[in-house]
Amino acid sequence: MNDWNLAATLLLAVGAGAAVWGVSTGPLRRRVVAQNLSTSAVCPSLLLLAQGYDRPSYVDLALLLALLGPVGTLVFARLLSDELTDDPPRARGLTWAAAGLGAVTVVVLCAAVGPSRAMVKLLVIGALLIGGNVVASRALSGGFRGVRGG
Amino acid sequence: MADAVIVVSLLLVAVTATAAVANRDPARQALVLSVLGLVLAVLFTVLQAPDVGLSQLAVGSALTPLLIMLSVRRVKRRGQPKDGGR
Repeated sequence: MNDWNLAATLLLAVGAGAAVWGVSTGPLRRRVVAQNLSTSAVCPSLLLLAQGYDRPSYVDLALLLALLGPVGTLVFARLLSDELTDDPPRARGLTWAAAGLGAVTVVVLCAAVGPSRAMVKLLVIGALLIGGNVVASRALSGGFRGVRGG
Repeated sequence: MADAVIVVSLLLVAVTATAAVANRDPARQALVLSVLGLVLAVLFTVLQAPDVGLSQLAVGSALTPLLIMLSVRRVKRRGQPKDGGR
């Protein structure tokens, strides 16, 4: 077991564990925040696992997750908007902490990979992950009220 | 020691699946189910089946919650005018 796999295991145990606990207990607004942050906990650990197993093709999983995770959260933000307008979820600190986690992981992996096509792919995944996370978090807290009628 | 990541992801799957069963409200179940999709994809990756994980990710993280939430919405809307939103 190398260091990359150890880091991925720790990230899974802490990040995904916290997301599971948050999504299965508490009020609805905490659950949607936990569902949003589960993407940003699992995606970096998938990247770390790809590096740990030394299989660059496993990075595709993280790419797909970075694309589809925010889409899933936007589905909830749109279809639960009636319940969420009463007390909108606010998790500014958690959102930026998750974005920082993704950025740190991507930068460390880029340093390990070195300048190549794989590094460009990693940077694209990082940008998608952070951008999607921020957009989905903003949509959850009611940032796009103008769209709500559609 | 090399199996620690498998053990962690198996535990996460077991806890999430139990939580999905224990919740009674369909909207909350859909939230737990989307996290279950993510955790299952990690388990498949750890067991060296990334192709299965890829399809699980596509279905579990966006498609299943969308279908559940749309049908919950439909059922609620249909139930409201008939008998006072039971």
